[in-house]
Amino acid sequence: MFVTLNPRILHFSKLHPLSRPSSYFYRTRNVSLTTNCKLQKPENGNQRSSSSGSLTKTISLSDSAPPVTEETGMEISGDRVVKGGGDGGGGGGGGDGRGLGFLKKLPRKVLSVLSNLPLAITEMFTIAALMALGTVIEQGETPDFYFQKYPEDNPVFGFFTWRWIFTLGLDHMYSAPIFLGMLALLAASLMACTYTTQIPLVKVARRWSFMKSDEAIKKQEFADTLPRASIQDLGMILMGDGYEVFMKGPSLYAFKGLAGRFAPIGVHIAMLLIMVGGTLSATGSFRGSVTVPQGLNFVMGDVLAPVGFFSIPTDAFNTEVHVNRFTMDYYDSGEVSQFHSDISLRDLNGKEVLRKTISVNDPLRYGGVTVYQTDWSFSALQVTKDGEGPFNLAMAPIKINGDKKLYGTFLPVGDTNAPNVKGISMLARDLQSIVVYDLEGKFAGIRRPNSKLPIEINGMKIVIEDAIGSTGLELKTDPGVPVVYAGFGALMLTTCISYLSHSQIWALQNGTTLVVGGRTNRAKNLFPDDMNRLLDQVPELINKNTSVVSEQS
Amino acid sequence: MIFSILEHILTHISFSVVSIVLTIFFLTLLVNLDEIIGFFDSSDKGIIITFFGITGLLFTRWIYSGHFPLSNLYESLIFLSWSFSIIHMVSYFNKKQQNHLNAITAPSAIFIQGFATSGLLNKMPQSAILVPALQSQWLMMHVSMMILGYGALLCGSLLSIALLVITFRKVGPTFWKKNIKKKFLLNELFSFDVLYYINERNSILLQQNINFSFSRNYYRYQLIQQLDFWSFRIISLGFIFLTVGILSGAVWANETWGSYWNWDPKETWAFITWTIFAIYLHIKTNRNVRGINSAIVASIGFLLIWICYFGVNLLGIGLHSYGSFTSN
Repeated sequence: MFVTLNPRILHFSKLHPLSRPSSYFYRTRNVSLTTNCKLQKPENGNQRSSSSGSLTKTISLSDSAPPVTEETGMEISGDRVVKGGGDGGGGGGGGDGRGLGFLKKLPRKVLSVLSNLPLAITEMFTIAALMALGTVIEQGETPDFYFQKYPEDNPVFGFFTWRWIFTLGLDHMYSAPIFLGMLALLAASLMACTYTTQIPLVKVARRWSFMKSDEAIKKQEFADTLPRASIQDLGMILMGDGYEVFMKGPSLYAFKGLAGRFAPIGVHIAMLLIMVGGTLSATGSFRGSVTVPQGLNFVMGDVLAPVGFFSIPTDAFNTEVHVNRFTMDYYDSGEVSQFHSDISLRDLNGKEVLRKTISVNDPLRYGGVTVYQTDWSFSALQVTKDGEGPFNLAMAPIKINGDKKLYGTFLPVGDTNAPNVKGISMLARDLQSIVVYDLEGKFAGIRRPNSKLPIEINGMKIVIEDAIGSTGLELKTDPGVPVVYAGFGALMLTTCISYLSHSQIWALQNGTTLVVGGRTNRAKNLFPDDMNRLLDQVPELINKNTSVVSEQS
Repeated sequence: MIFSILEHILTHISFSVVSIVLTIFFLTLLVNLDEIIGFFDSSDKGIIITFFGITGLLFTRWIYSGHFPLSNLYESLIFLSWSFSIIHMVSYFNKKQQNHLNAITAPSAIFIQGFATSGLLNKMPQSAILVPALQSQWLMMHVSMMILGYGALLCGSLLSIALLVITFRKVGPTFWKKNIKKKFLLNELFSFDVLYYINERNSILLQQNINFSFSRNYYRYQLIQQLDFWSFRIISLGFIFLTVGILSGAVWANETWGSYWNWDPKETWAFITWTIFAIYLHIKTNRNVRGINSAIVASIGFLLIWICYFGVNLLGIGLHSYGSFTSN
């Protein structure tokens, strides 16, 4: 009954793992009898010898459907073209409206231009060069900066002045029209290339075909002729090596690593996904940062500012954020190891909906809003003087060279209305230790907050009760993240799969001689070795009759 | 204390073994082939010893610093030479196919190792503390993938450079040796590839001194084909690592800095490198283009990796300033 199936193809399913020696095969094949059938003579069977024509084979039909025929695919695309009337997706099929002929040709022309590989390479080069330029030219400075750095009377490289920068928008390269335009062009090229080049390639690769002449097989990158060998043995051995094997009469077609052909399409689609996600992020997100002293609160919506045109606020924006506590961890050497902010979220009714201690690398997510711990600051110092107080002294940031932060405050002593007020100065680099200077500005000592250890300055007892830090939070909503992450995942996966080689092998039984040819698309240098290794395993038929007898027994 | 002693010992073992390997490579240039076949074997073994030395070194650092040893430039350099020795070992154990990777990896490993251990980076070897942003599991994934990617891409692009050198070198058989020596002084990295090529060719010439010029051209052609193929395979592999590295970095950045892409100089340069090698892979898909064109792109990529890896750190700009020369 299998013989009557329309494409008379025997598809060997992977029932037998094929690391066994080939002699074992004969046995296995006879034991696991599924169907015995006689092959019908194909139309071009005149080359076949009588011995191979009467071979009895054990076959098993695979469940996997044969590849989609090309005709249906073409019809579908043809239909769309007729209906859409040149909507840019015109792939094939003859249209009927003559007035639309030009419109139909134009997209095809555009497609062919866009899918041009040299153009795509030029685009990539341009984008790379623009990005490099963006790291060389300072970004986001004031116009005055560029006037000074790139003056007109002394241009860099003899021509490059600030006029160039402002005309091309190089001071904000990564949002400049020229850069975004190149990216859009690259995206168009990606789509065009996928549509016009990659998909047809896969279609060709999927539409497996048998080669019917020795010459065609010998033309392949790898070709070999085995004098006394059977095509069935070769099929089994190829199957064991992970090939999908198809056989029809004296011809064999086998392939492996078809995913390696699909994957580049996946890479392109993943790139497009990332670009779409990036566009979503750029047009639909909100951002904002805030520095909140410990114990205070703010409303998310007040901090978040729209970034693009499509930024739509959500209900979560009404949430109130309360900073319960802000702490810092230190290494033994005194350097900061981590920041923690204990945060409560309260809805409109004042009910706590979420509480979490966030730190760098561990943000809080609620209703599409992400709260990051990014910065810190010194808010105030609680001090008692001779048992009075406590006073809250606001700490002011003091700008010094370098990245390290320094905060200072001043406790006036005596008449505060006097023209030159004297007082105690206190400086701190972090919340850990406060350096105290006396009225003359001389070093008086270092105290830790909470230590309750008084310091005596000019007869006054000063106790530093507490150091109140403020946490630097960054808030963000980004609708693009899921899309971008999907793109990331797809890109990682497909790039890895792209490393696979798609290998194809054809073989033709010609009498007792077996002609084998094959090609691969990536590991070209390794392919002949692999092939030779596989062909070495093919058993040599010592005598025609014995081999036939052994198979029939 | 015991850790730092152990670390010193391991550093010196790996460095000295690598220098011995390099000396062997030097010797092969001067001495006849009959004596160096054994030498070549021992150089492979030397690299294996180096590999274990560096592995031990990295583990020691890991244990006593308490975090994955990839937090500053010194550690990343050590890791880079470690990945070079991995690539070398892979090519050593994969004897099935003769390739020329070990001619690239051994000298690269010693240069990196030497640079890391030398006094140039005075304060670098001290294990630094981790700033808050680096305290994440992503550190392991991101940085190791990036460095592995850099290592593989450097190897691949060096093979491409070797291809270019061999293609454009048109010298007669009588004075090639002199020429090589001159070139050796000019650029050591280049010449190692050529050196290997010379050895290769030398052996062939000795074996069959029938037709000098014919065999020379034939083997030259074969060598170019092989270099082309191997640089393609290695770059494809490195490209995978680079992709995974950049993307995991982006995910990490979204957890830490609040955005998956910040156009930070380091990020941008990594992306530029990625783009260049993407171009390389695209050129490779076109069968009509000769290997030279893609090799030129790959050698541009070689420069870009160094700009990305070192240049940006040298300036110490942007968010990736942990590994800069000045940060300590």
